[in-house]
Amino acid sequence: MIGAVGARTIGGVNDIGRFARFVWQSMIASFRTSLSPCTYPLIWTQMYIIGVRSVPVVMITGAFVGMTLAVQAYDQLAGMGLEEHLGVLINISVVKELGPVLAAVMLAGRIGGALTAELGTMNVTEQIDAVRSMGTDPIRYLAAPRVLACLLLTPFLIIFADLMGIIGGYFVSVVTLGINSRAYWSFSASGVELWDVSIGVVKGFFFGVALAVISCYKGFTCKEGARGVGQACTEAFVSSFFSILALDFALAVIFKSIYNTFWPLKSLV
Amino acid sequence: MKQDHEKDSTQGSRNDSVIVLKGVTKKFGSKIVLDNVSLGIQKGQTTVVIGPSGCGKTVLIKHLIVLLRPSSGEVYYRDRRIDNLDENELNKVRTHYGFLFQGGALFDSLSVTENIIFPIRQHCEIKDWAQVEDLVKSKLAMVGLDGFQNYFSASLSGGQRKRVALARAIALNPEVILYDEPTTGLDPIHSDVISELILKLQRELGVTSVVVTHDMTMAYKVANRIIMLHNGKIIADGDADHIRNHPHPTVQQFVNGQVSQDDLAVLRMSGTVAQGQFLPRDFEQ
Repeated sequence: MIGAVGARTIGGVNDIGRFARFVWQSMIASFRTSLSPCTYPLIWTQMYIIGVRSVPVVMITGAFVGMTLAVQAYDQLAGMGLEEHLGVLINISVVKELGPVLAAVMLAGRIGGALTAELGTMNVTEQIDAVRSMGTDPIRYLAAPRVLACLLLTPFLIIFADLMGIIGGYFVSVVTLGINSRAYWSFSASGVELWDVSIGVVKGFFFGVALAVISCYKGFTCKEGARGVGQACTEAFVSSFFSILALDFALAVIFKSIYNTFWPLKSLV
Repeated sequence: MKQDHEKDSTQGSRNDSVIVLKGVTKKFGSKIVLDNVSLGIQKGQTTVVIGPSGCGKTVLIKHLIVLLRPSSGEVYYRDRRIDNLDENELNKVRTHYGFLFQGGALFDSLSVTENIIFPIRQHCEIKDWAQVEDLVKSKLAMVGLDGFQNYFSASLSGGQRKRVALARAIALNPEVILYDEPTTGLDPIHSDVISELILKLQRELGVTSVVVTHDMTMAYKVANRIIMLHNGKIIADGDADHIRNHPHPTVQQFVNGQVSQDDLAVLRMSGTVAQGQFLPRDFEQ
Protein backbone atom coordinates (compact mmCIF):
# COMPACT_ATOMS: atom_id res chain seq x y z
CA MET A 1 0.00 0.00 0.00
CA ILE A 2 2.69 2.48 1.09
CA GLY A 3 4.93 1.22 -1.69
CA ALA A 4 2.19 1.79 -4.28
CA VAL A 5 1.56 5.34 -3.05
CA GLY A 6 5.29 6.01 -3.08
CA ALA A 7 5.70 4.64 -6.60
CA ARG A 8 2.78 6.72 -7.83
CA THR A 9 4.20 9.86 -6.20
CA ILE A 10 7.63 9.29 -7.73
CA GLY A 11 5.97 8.65 -11.12
CA GLY A 12 3.99 11.88 -10.81
CA VAL A 13 7.08 13.91 -9.90
CA ASN A 14 8.95 12.34 -12.84
CA ASP A 15 6.11 13.28 -15.20
CA ILE A 16 6.13 16.87 -13.97
CA GLY A 17 9.91 17.00 -14.41
CA ARG A 18 9.70 15.61 -17.95
CA PHE A 19 6.95 18.08 -18.85
CA ALA A 20 8.90 21.03 -17.39
CA ARG A 21 11.95 19.95 -19.39
CA PHE A 22 9.84 19.67 -22.57
CA VAL A 23 8.39 23.16 -21.98
CA TRP A 24 11.87 24.61 -21.52
CA GLN A 25 13.22 22.86 -24.65
CA SER A 26 10.17 24.00 -26.64
CA MET A 27 10.67 27.61 -25.57
CA ILE A 28 14.37 27.55 -26.51
CA ALA A 29 13.62 25.79 -29.82
CA SER A 30 10.80 28.25 -30.61
CA PHE A 31 13.09 31.22 -29.94
CA ARG A 32 15.78 29.77 -32.22
CA THR A 33 13.22 28.90 -34.90
CA SER A 34 11.86 32.45 -34.85
CA LEU A 35 15.38 33.71 -35.67
CA SER A 36 15.95 31.26 -38.52
CA PRO A 37 14.29 32.34 -41.80
CA CYS A 38 14.80 28.90 -43.39
CA THR A 39 12.25 27.42 -40.94
CA TYR A 40 9.59 30.06 -41.67
CA PRO A 41 7.82 27.87 -44.28
CA LEU A 42 7.14 25.33 -41.50
CA ILE A 43 5.56 28.08 -39.40
CA TRP A 44 3.43 29.38 -42.32
CA THR A 45 2.10 25.86 -42.91
CA GLN A 46 1.14 25.46 -39.26
CA MET A 47 -0.36 28.97 -39.19
CA TYR A 48 -2.63 28.01 -42.06
CA ILE A 49 -3.68 24.73 -40.44
CA ILE A 50 -4.04 26.13 -36.95
CA GLY A 51 -5.16 29.68 -37.64
CA VAL A 52 -6.98 30.07 -40.92
CA ARG A 53 -8.98 26.87 -40.62
CA SER A 54 -10.06 27.71 -37.07
CA VAL A 55 -11.59 31.09 -37.95
CA PRO A 56 -15.15 29.81 -38.65
CA VAL A 57 -15.29 27.71 -35.46
CA VAL A 58 -14.07 30.56 -33.29
CA MET A 59 -16.37 33.14 -34.93
CA ILE A 60 -19.45 30.96 -34.46
CA THR A 61 -18.49 30.40 -30.80
CA GLY A 62 -18.10 34.14 -30.23
CA ALA A 63 -21.41 35.00 -31.92
CA PHE A 64 -23.39 32.55 -29.79
CA VAL A 65 -21.71 33.79 -26.60
CA GLY A 66 -22.79 37.38 -27.35
CA MET A 67 -26.34 36.41 -28.34
CA THR A 68 -26.86 34.18 -25.30
CA LEU A 69 -25.57 36.85 -22.92
CA ALA A 70 -28.06 39.36 -24.38
CA VAL A 71 -31.00 36.99 -23.95
CA GLN A 72 -30.02 36.01 -20.39
CA ALA A 73 -29.19 39.49 -19.06
CA TYR A 74 -32.03 41.48 -20.62
CA ASP A 75 -34.75 40.54 -18.11
CA GLN A 76 -32.64 41.40 -15.05
CA LEU A 77 -31.60 44.79 -16.42
CA ALA A 78 -35.06 45.61 -17.83
CA GLY A 79 -36.54 44.90 -14.40
CA MET A 80 -34.41 47.72 -13.01
CA GLY A 81 -34.99 49.96 -16.02
CA LEU A 82 -31.35 49.62 -17.07
CA GLU A 83 -31.83 47.74 -20.32
CA GLU A 84 -29.84 50.34 -22.24
CA HIS A 85 -26.79 49.29 -20.21
CA LEU A 86 -27.00 45.80 -21.69
CA GLY A 87 -24.18 46.62 -24.13
CA VAL A 88 -21.70 47.24 -21.30
CA LEU A 89 -22.47 43.92 -19.67
CA ILE A 90 -22.30 41.93 -22.91
CA ASN A 91 -19.22 43.58 -24.36
CA ILE A 92 -17.13 43.63 -21.20
CA SER A 93 -17.95 39.96 -20.54
CA VAL A 94 -17.13 39.02 -24.11
CA VAL A 95 -13.83 40.87 -24.53
CA LYS A 96 -12.47 40.26 -21.04
CA GLU A 97 -13.49 36.72 -20.15
CA LEU A 98 -15.92 34.68 -22.21
CA GLY A 99 -14.51 35.45 -25.67
CA PRO A 100 -10.89 34.54 -24.84
CA VAL A 101 -11.71 31.54 -22.63
CA LEU A 102 -14.34 29.94 -24.86
CA ALA A 103 -12.31 30.61 -28.02
CA ALA A 104 -9.27 28.98 -26.36
CA VAL A 105 -11.34 25.99 -25.25
CA MET A 106 -12.66 25.56 -28.79
CA LEU A 107 -9.07 25.74 -30.09
CA ALA A 108 -7.95 23.17 -27.50
CA GLY A 109 -10.60 20.82 -28.89
CA ARG A 110 -9.99 21.54 -32.54
CA ILE A 111 -6.24 22.10 -32.70
CA GLY A 112 -5.04 20.38 -29.53
CA GLY A 113 -6.67 17.08 -30.46
CA ALA A 114 -5.34 17.27 -34.02
CA LEU A 115 -1.80 18.14 -32.90
CA THR A 116 -1.71 15.30 -30.38
CA ALA A 117 -3.15 12.78 -32.84
CA GLU A 118 -0.69 13.81 -35.58
CA LEU A 119 2.41 13.79 -33.36
CA GLY A 120 1.22 10.69 -31.49
CA THR A 121 0.83 8.79 -34.75
CA MET A 122 4.28 9.99 -35.83
CA ASN A 123 5.63 8.74 -32.52
CA VAL A 124 4.14 5.25 -32.72
CA THR A 125 5.16 4.85 -36.38
CA GLU A 126 8.76 5.83 -35.48
CA GLN A 127 8.65 9.01 -37.58
CA ILE A 128 9.89 11.06 -34.60
CA ASP A 129 12.77 8.61 -34.15
CA ALA A 130 13.42 8.96 -37.90
CA VAL A 131 13.74 12.75 -37.47
CA ARG A 132 16.25 12.18 -34.64
CA SER A 133 18.16 9.54 -36.60
CA MET A 134 18.73 12.08 -39.38
CA GLY A 135 20.42 14.45 -36.93
CA THR A 136 17.48 16.81 -36.46
CA ASP A 137 15.98 17.90 -33.16
CA PRO A 138 12.31 16.81 -33.34
CA ILE A 139 11.28 19.49 -30.84
CA ARG A 140 12.73 22.16 -33.11
CA TYR A 141 11.33 20.64 -36.31
CA LEU A 142 7.91 19.47 -35.07
CA ALA A 143 7.00 21.26 -31.82
CA ALA A 144 8.48 24.74 -32.29
CA PRO A 145 6.56 25.68 -35.48
CA ARG A 146 3.29 24.55 -33.84
CA VAL A 147 4.00 26.46 -30.63
CA LEU A 148 4.89 29.61 -32.57
CA ALA A 149 1.80 29.33 -34.77
CA CYS A 150 -0.45 28.98 -31.70
CA LEU A 151 1.37 31.79 -29.89
CA LEU A 152 0.97 34.21 -32.78
CA LEU A 153 -2.53 33.31 -33.93
CA THR A 154 -4.55 32.61 -30.78
CA PRO A 155 -4.76 36.35 -29.93
CA PHE A 156 -6.01 37.08 -33.46
CA LEU A 157 -8.58 34.32 -33.21
CA ILE A 158 -9.72 35.79 -29.91
CA ILE A 159 -10.18 39.16 -31.64
CA PHE A 160 -12.41 37.39 -34.19
CA ALA A 161 -14.39 35.76 -31.36
CA ASP A 162 -14.73 39.14 -29.58
CA LEU A 163 -15.87 40.83 -32.77
CA MET A 164 -18.53 38.23 -33.45
CA GLY A 165 -19.60 38.27 -29.79
CA ILE A 166 -20.12 42.03 -29.97
CA ILE A 167 -22.05 41.75 -33.26
CA GLY A 168 -24.15 38.84 -31.93
CA GLY A 169 -24.97 40.75 -28.71
CA TYR A 170 -25.84 43.89 -30.67
CA PHE A 171 -28.06 41.95 -33.06
CA VAL A 172 -30.15 40.36 -30.29
CA SER A 173 -30.24 43.49 -28.10
CA VAL A 174 -31.11 46.05 -30.76
CA VAL A 175 -32.83 44.11 -33.52
CA THR A 176 -34.69 41.50 -31.45
CA LEU A 177 -35.15 43.13 -28.02
CA GLY A 178 -35.61 46.67 -29.35
CA ILE A 179 -32.97 48.55 -27.33
CA ASN A 180 -32.03 51.95 -28.74
CA SER A 181 -28.94 51.50 -30.88
CA ARG A 182 -27.35 54.86 -30.02
CA ALA A 183 -27.79 54.32 -26.27
CA TYR A 184 -26.47 50.75 -26.60
CA TRP A 185 -23.20 51.87 -28.19
CA SER A 186 -22.89 54.97 -26.03
CA PHE A 187 -23.02 53.00 -22.77
CA SER A 188 -20.77 50.31 -24.24
CA ALA A 189 -18.14 52.89 -25.21
CA SER A 190 -18.17 54.44 -21.76
CA GLY A 191 -17.95 51.10 -19.93
CA VAL A 192 -15.48 49.09 -22.00
CA GLU A 193 -11.92 50.38 -22.02
CA LEU A 194 -8.96 49.57 -24.21
CA TRP A 195 -7.49 47.90 -21.10
CA ASP A 196 -10.36 45.37 -21.03
CA VAL A 197 -9.88 44.49 -24.70
CA SER A 198 -6.10 44.23 -24.24
CA ILE A 199 -6.43 41.85 -21.29
CA GLY A 200 -8.41 39.43 -23.44
CA VAL A 201 -5.91 39.60 -26.28
CA VAL A 202 -2.87 39.20 -24.02
CA LYS A 203 -4.50 36.15 -22.43
CA GLY A 204 -4.53 34.68 -25.93
CA PHE A 205 -0.71 34.48 -26.01
CA PHE A 206 -0.68 32.44 -22.79
CA PHE A 207 -3.59 30.21 -23.80
CA GLY A 208 -2.02 29.55 -27.21
CA VAL A 209 1.35 28.52 -25.80
CA ALA A 210 -0.27 26.38 -23.09
CA LEU A 211 -2.47 24.38 -25.44
CA ALA A 212 0.30 23.94 -28.03
CA VAL A 213 2.94 22.78 -25.54
CA ILE A 214 0.56 20.40 -23.74
CA SER A 215 -0.71 18.91 -27.02
CA CYS A 216 2.81 18.46 -28.43
CA TYR A 217 4.03 16.89 -25.17
CA LYS A 218 1.15 14.41 -25.12
CA GLY A 219 1.86 13.53 -28.76
CA PHE A 220 5.61 13.07 -28.13
CA THR A 221 5.01 10.83 -25.10
CA CYS A 222 2.01 8.91 -26.43
CA LYS A 223 1.90 5.17 -25.78
CA GLU A 224 1.81 2.64 -28.61
CA GLY A 225 -1.30 1.61 -30.48
CA ALA A 226 -4.60 3.19 -31.44
CA ARG A 227 -5.66 3.19 -27.79
CA GLY A 228 -2.49 5.06 -26.81
CA VAL A 229 -3.13 7.79 -29.38
CA GLY A 230 -6.78 8.11 -28.34
CA GLN A 231 -5.84 8.33 -24.68
CA ALA A 232 -3.19 10.97 -25.43
CA CYS A 233 -5.77 13.10 -27.31
CA THR A 234 -8.21 12.92 -24.39
CA GLU A 235 -5.48 13.78 -21.88
CA ALA A 236 -4.30 16.66 -24.06
CA PHE A 237 -7.77 18.22 -24.21
CA VAL A 238 -8.48 17.79 -20.49
CA SER A 239 -5.06 19.15 -19.48
CA SER A 240 -5.36 22.08 -21.90
CA PHE A 241 -8.85 22.87 -20.63
CA PHE A 242 -7.74 22.97 -16.98
CA SER A 243 -4.61 24.95 -17.90
CA ILE A 244 -6.71 27.55 -19.69
CA LEU A 245 -9.01 27.94 -16.68
CA ALA A 246 -6.08 28.09 -14.23
CA LEU A 247 -4.19 30.58 -16.41
CA ASP A 248 -7.34 32.67 -16.77
CA PHE A 249 -7.66 32.91 -12.98
CA ALA A 250 -3.96 33.68 -12.46
CA LEU A 251 -3.93 36.32 -15.20
CA ALA A 252 -7.13 37.91 -13.84
CA VAL A 253 -5.44 38.34 -10.45
CA ILE A 254 -2.24 39.70 -12.01
CA PHE A 255 -4.02 42.16 -14.33
CA LYS A 256 -6.25 43.37 -11.52
CA SER A 257 -3.19 44.07 -9.37
CA ILE A 258 -1.53 45.96 -12.22
CA TYR A 259 -4.70 47.96 -12.88
CA ASN A 260 -5.08 48.87 -9.21
CA THR A 261 -1.43 49.93 -9.06
CA PHE A 262 -1.71 52.37 -11.97
CA TRP A 263 -5.30 53.57 -11.65
CA PRO A 264 -6.26 53.16 -7.97
CA LEU A 265 -8.73 56.08 -7.92
CA LYS A 266 -10.54 54.94 -11.07
CA SER A 267 -10.86 51.50 -9.59
CA LEU A 268 -12.57 52.90 -6.52
CA VAL A 269 -15.00 54.94 -8.64
CA MET B 1 38.49 -20.51 -28.75
CA LYS B 2 35.15 -19.65 -30.28
CA GLN B 3 33.57 -19.32 -26.87
CA ASP B 4 36.21 -16.79 -25.84
CA HIS B 5 35.43 -14.83 -28.95
CA GLU B 6 31.74 -14.83 -28.08
CA LYS B 7 32.36 -13.64 -24.53
CA ASP B 8 33.75 -10.34 -25.80
CA SER B 9 32.71 -9.55 -29.35
CA THR B 10 34.90 -6.44 -29.44
CA GLN B 11 38.13 -8.47 -29.14
CA GLY B 12 40.38 -8.66 -32.16
CA SER B 13 38.42 -6.03 -34.04
CA ARG B 14 38.77 -2.90 -31.97
CA ASN B 15 41.17 -1.18 -34.33
CA ASP B 16 38.90 -1.43 -37.38
CA SER B 17 35.64 -1.07 -35.45
CA VAL B 18 33.49 1.90 -36.41
CA ILE B 19 31.06 1.46 -33.52
CA VAL B 20 31.87 -0.21 -30.22
CA LEU B 21 29.52 -1.11 -27.37
CA LYS B 22 31.25 -1.75 -24.03
CA GLY B 23 29.30 -3.53 -21.32
CA VAL B 24 25.98 -2.03 -22.37
CA THR B 25 23.02 -2.85 -20.15
CA LYS B 26 19.54 -1.49 -20.82
CA LYS B 27 16.68 -1.74 -18.37
CA PHE B 28 13.06 -0.69 -18.85
CA GLY B 29 11.77 -0.50 -15.28
CA SER B 30 12.91 -3.76 -13.67
CA LYS B 31 13.14 -5.61 -17.00
CA ILE B 32 16.67 -6.12 -18.34
CA VAL B 33 16.56 -6.02 -22.15
CA LEU B 34 20.32 -5.85 -22.85
CA ASP B 35 22.61 -7.49 -20.33
CA ASN B 36 26.24 -6.34 -20.35
CA VAL B 37 26.60 -6.50 -24.15
CA SER B 38 30.04 -5.78 -25.65
CA LEU B 39 30.31 -5.59 -29.42
CA GLY B 40 32.46 -4.06 -32.14
CA ILE B 41 31.00 -3.26 -35.59
CA GLN B 42 33.73 -3.68 -38.19
CA LYS B 43 34.25 -1.14 -40.92
CA GLY B 44 32.96 -1.98 -44.39
CA GLN B 45 31.31 -5.21 -43.24
CA THR B 46 27.69 -6.28 -42.91
CA THR B 47 26.92 -7.47 -39.41
CA VAL B 48 23.58 -9.21 -38.97
CA VAL B 49 21.94 -9.43 -35.55
CA ILE B 50 19.50 -12.32 -35.24
CA GLY B 51 17.33 -13.52 -32.41
CA PRO B 52 13.75 -14.33 -31.48
CA SER B 53 11.12 -11.59 -31.22
CA GLY B 54 11.49 -9.53 -28.05
CA CYS B 55 15.12 -10.51 -27.40
CA GLY B 56 16.37 -6.90 -27.63
CA LYS B 57 17.54 -6.64 -31.28
CA THR B 58 15.82 -3.31 -31.97
CA VAL B 59 16.95 -1.96 -28.59
CA LEU B 60 20.52 -2.95 -29.51
CA ILE B 61 20.44 -1.25 -32.93
CA LYS B 62 18.96 1.92 -31.39
CA HIS B 63 21.90 2.02 -28.98
CA LEU B 64 24.35 2.04 -31.90
CA ILE B 65 22.99 5.48 -32.93
CA VAL B 66 22.06 6.45 -29.34
CA LEU B 67 18.35 6.78 -30.06
CA LEU B 68 18.26 4.97 -26.71
CA ARG B 69 20.83 5.64 -24.01
CA PRO B 70 22.24 2.71 -22.05
CA SER B 71 21.38 2.24 -18.37
CA SER B 72 25.06 1.41 -17.92
CA GLY B 73 27.98 0.86 -20.29
CA GLU B 74 29.49 2.93 -23.08
CA VAL B 75 28.97 3.48 -26.81
CA TYR B 76 31.79 4.67 -29.08
CA TYR B 77 31.72 5.94 -32.65
CA ARG B 78 35.19 6.12 -34.21
CA ASP B 79 36.83 5.95 -30.75
CA ARG B 80 34.74 8.84 -29.47
CA ARG B 81 32.35 8.12 -26.64
CA ILE B 82 28.89 9.21 -27.79
CA ASP B 83 26.39 7.89 -25.23
CA ASN B 84 27.11 10.83 -22.88
CA LEU B 85 26.85 13.59 -25.51
CA ASP B 86 23.99 16.09 -25.43
CA GLU B 87 21.40 15.93 -28.23
CA ASN B 88 22.99 18.79 -30.23
CA GLU B 89 26.35 17.02 -30.32
CA LEU B 90 24.68 13.69 -31.03
CA ASN B 91 22.81 15.18 -33.99
CA LYS B 92 26.16 15.95 -35.64
CA VAL B 93 27.33 12.36 -35.08
CA ARG B 94 24.04 10.98 -36.43
CA THR B 95 24.65 12.58 -39.84
CA HIS B 96 27.21 9.79 -40.36
CA TYR B 97 24.44 7.20 -39.99
CA GLY B 98 21.51 6.11 -42.10
CA PHE B 99 18.64 4.27 -40.38
CA LEU B 100 16.02 2.16 -42.13
CA PHE B 101 13.13 1.69 -39.71
CA GLN B 102 10.97 -1.40 -39.56
CA GLY B 103 7.91 0.30 -41.10
CA GLY B 104 9.98 2.71 -43.21
CA ALA B 105 8.91 5.70 -41.05
CA LEU B 106 8.37 7.86 -44.13
CA PHE B 107 6.79 11.23 -43.35
CA ASP B 108 3.30 10.71 -44.73
CA SER B 109 2.64 14.42 -45.21
CA LEU B 110 5.64 14.71 -47.56
CA SER B 111 6.18 13.38 -51.08
CA VAL B 112 8.93 10.90 -51.94
CA THR B 113 11.18 13.75 -53.10
CA GLU B 114 10.54 15.79 -49.96
CA ASN B 115 11.28 12.74 -47.80
CA ILE B 116 14.62 12.17 -49.51
CA ILE B 117 15.71 15.81 -49.37
CA PHE B 118 14.64 16.12 -45.72
CA PRO B 119 18.09 15.31 -44.26
CA ILE B 120 19.80 17.39 -46.96
CA ARG B 121 17.61 20.39 -46.12
CA GLN B 122 18.36 20.01 -42.43
CA HIS B 123 22.14 19.91 -42.80
CA CYS B 124 23.08 21.61 -46.06
CA GLU B 125 22.26 24.97 -47.55
CA ILE B 126 20.59 24.23 -50.87
CA LYS B 127 21.64 26.70 -53.53
CA ASP B 128 21.10 24.71 -56.69
CA TRP B 129 17.74 22.91 -56.79
CA ALA B 130 18.57 21.26 -60.12
CA GLN B 131 21.49 19.54 -58.38
CA VAL B 132 19.16 18.36 -55.60
CA GLU B 133 16.69 16.97 -58.14
CA ASP B 134 19.55 15.07 -59.77
CA LEU B 135 20.57 13.73 -56.37
CA VAL B 136 17.02 12.54 -55.61
CA LYS B 137 16.89 10.91 -59.02
CA SER B 138 20.18 9.10 -58.45
CA LYS B 139 19.20 7.90 -54.96
CA LEU B 140 15.86 6.63 -56.25
CA ALA B 141 17.60 4.97 -59.20
CA MET B 142 19.86 3.12 -56.72
CA VAL B 143 16.80 1.56 -55.10
CA GLY B 144 15.05 1.05 -58.45
CA LEU B 145 12.30 3.63 -57.97
CA ASP B 146 13.23 6.47 -60.32
CA GLY B 147 9.97 8.04 -61.51
CA PHE B 148 8.26 7.86 -58.11
CA GLN B 149 9.41 11.37 -57.09
CA ASN B 150 5.92 12.85 -56.71
CA TYR B 151 4.25 9.89 -55.01
CA PHE B 152 3.13 10.01 -51.40
CA SER B 153 3.77 7.28 -48.84
CA ALA B 154 0.10 6.20 -48.79
CA SER B 155 0.18 5.28 -52.50
CA LEU B 156 3.28 3.06 -52.22
CA SER B 157 3.40 -0.65 -51.44
CA GLY B 158 5.22 -1.96 -48.34
CA GLY B 159 8.33 -2.88 -50.35
CA GLN B 160 8.37 0.44 -52.20
CA ARG B 161 8.06 2.32 -48.90
CA LYS B 162 11.10 0.52 -47.53
CA ARG B 163 13.08 1.24 -50.67
CA VAL B 164 12.17 4.96 -50.52
CA ALA B 165 13.14 4.92 -46.82
CA LEU B 166 16.45 3.37 -47.85
CA ALA B 167 16.96 6.10 -50.46
CA ARG B 168 16.34 8.65 -47.69
CA ALA B 169 18.76 6.82 -45.37
CA ILE B 170 21.57 7.13 -47.94
CA ALA B 171 20.79 10.75 -48.88
CA LEU B 172 23.70 12.12 -46.84
CA ASN B 173 26.10 9.36 -48.01
CA PRO B 174 26.40 7.86 -44.52
CA GLU B 175 29.29 5.76 -43.35
CA VAL B 176 27.05 3.36 -41.42
CA ILE B 177 23.58 2.10 -42.39
CA LEU B 178 21.39 0.46 -39.75
CA TYR B 179 18.52 -1.75 -40.94
CA ASP B 180 15.78 -2.64 -38.45
CA GLU B 181 13.87 -5.71 -39.68
CA PRO B 182 14.09 -4.64 -43.35
CA THR B 183 12.14 -7.63 -44.70
CA THR B 184 9.34 -7.83 -42.13
CA GLY B 185 5.96 -7.85 -43.87
CA LEU B 186 7.42 -8.42 -47.34
CA ASP B 187 6.93 -11.43 -49.57
CA PRO B 188 10.02 -13.59 -50.36
CA ILE B 189 10.66 -11.88 -53.70
CA HIS B 190 10.58 -8.36 -52.26
CA SER B 191 12.67 -9.59 -49.30
CA ASP B 192 15.27 -10.73 -51.79
CA VAL B 193 15.15 -7.33 -53.52
CA ILE B 194 16.00 -5.69 -50.17
CA SER B 195 18.84 -8.21 -49.61
CA GLU B 196 20.26 -7.40 -53.05
CA LEU B 197 20.03 -3.68 -52.26
CA ILE B 198 21.98 -4.15 -49.04
CA LEU B 199 24.69 -6.01 -50.95
CA LYS B 200 24.68 -3.38 -53.70
CA LEU B 201 25.11 -0.52 -51.22
CA GLN B 202 27.97 -2.32 -49.50
CA ARG B 203 29.61 -3.04 -52.86
CA GLU B 204 29.13 0.40 -54.44
CA LEU B 205 29.33 2.73 -51.45
CA GLY B 206 31.54 0.64 -49.17
CA VAL B 207 29.25 1.33 -46.22
CA THR B 208 29.28 -0.46 -42.89
CA SER B 209 25.92 -2.14 -42.33
CA VAL B 210 24.15 -3.55 -39.31
CA VAL B 211 21.03 -5.55 -40.08
CA VAL B 212 18.57 -6.68 -37.43
CA THR B 213 16.42 -9.53 -38.69
CA HIS B 214 14.96 -12.94 -37.98
CA ASP B 215 14.90 -13.79 -41.69
CA MET B 216 17.66 -16.43 -41.94
CA THR B 217 17.60 -16.48 -45.76
CA MET B 218 18.52 -12.82 -45.74
CA ALA B 219 21.00 -13.23 -42.90
CA TYR B 220 22.96 -15.92 -44.76
CA LYS B 221 22.86 -13.89 -47.98
CA VAL B 222 24.10 -10.51 -46.75
CA ALA B 223 26.13 -11.25 -43.62
CA ASN B 224 29.90 -11.11 -43.24
CA ARG B 225 29.23 -11.77 -39.57
CA ILE B 226 26.18 -12.98 -37.66
CA ILE B 227 25.47 -12.30 -33.99
CA MET B 228 22.70 -14.04 -32.10
CA LEU B 229 21.02 -12.35 -29.15
CA HIS B 230 19.06 -14.33 -26.58
CA ASN B 231 17.63 -12.92 -23.35
CA GLY B 232 19.67 -9.74 -23.83
CA LYS B 233 23.02 -11.54 -24.21
CA ILE B 234 25.14 -12.47 -27.23
CA ILE B 235 25.15 -16.26 -27.38
CA ALA B 236 26.75 -16.74 -30.81
CA ASP B 237 29.07 -14.66 -32.97
CA GLY B 238 30.75 -15.66 -36.21
CA ASP B 239 30.33 -16.08 -39.95
CA ALA B 240 27.39 -17.89 -41.56
CA ASP B 241 29.04 -21.34 -41.39
CA HIS B 242 29.91 -20.89 -37.71
CA ILE B 243 26.28 -20.00 -36.90
CA ARG B 244 24.91 -22.83 -39.05
CA ASN B 245 27.00 -25.40 -37.14
CA HIS B 246 26.86 -23.75 -33.72
CA PRO B 247 26.46 -26.27 -30.88
CA HIS B 248 24.18 -24.10 -28.72
CA PRO B 249 20.67 -25.67 -28.86
CA THR B 250 18.92 -22.26 -28.88
CA VAL B 251 20.98 -21.22 -31.92
CA GLN B 252 20.15 -24.47 -33.70
CA GLN B 253 16.44 -24.13 -32.93
CA PHE B 254 16.42 -20.57 -34.23
CA VAL B 255 18.38 -21.05 -37.45
CA ASN B 256 16.42 -24.21 -38.29
CA GLY B 257 13.08 -22.70 -37.31
CA GLN B 258 12.23 -25.41 -34.79
CA VAL B 259 9.88 -25.02 -31.86
CA SER B 260 11.45 -25.81 -28.48
CA GLN B 261 10.29 -28.67 -26.24
CA ASP B 262 9.20 -26.11 -23.60
CA ASP B 263 6.95 -24.32 -26.12
CA LEU B 264 5.51 -27.65 -27.25
CA ALA B 265 4.70 -28.54 -23.66
CA VAL B 266 2.87 -25.23 -23.22
CA LEU B 267 0.86 -25.87 -26.40
CA ARG B 268 -0.12 -29.34 -25.15
CA MET B 269 -1.22 -27.94 -21.78
CA SER B 270 -3.37 -25.23 -23.38
CA GLY B 271 -5.77 -27.85 -24.83
CA THR B 272 -6.97 -28.60 -28.35
CA VAL B 273 -9.95 -27.78 -30.53
CA ALA B 274 -11.17 -31.36 -30.14
CA GLN B 275 -11.29 -30.88 -26.36
CA GLY B 276 -14.19 -28.46 -26.75
CA GLN B 277 -12.85 -25.05 -27.72
CA PHE B 278 -15.21 -22.76 -29.63
CA LEU B 279 -14.72 -22.07 -33.30
CA PRO B 280 -16.08 -19.01 -35.13
CA ARG B 281 -18.65 -21.23 -36.89
CA ASP B 282 -20.17 -22.07 -33.48
CA PHE B 283 -21.49 -18.50 -33.39
CA GLU B 284 -22.74 -18.41 -36.98
CA GLN B 285 -26.37 -19.30 -36.39
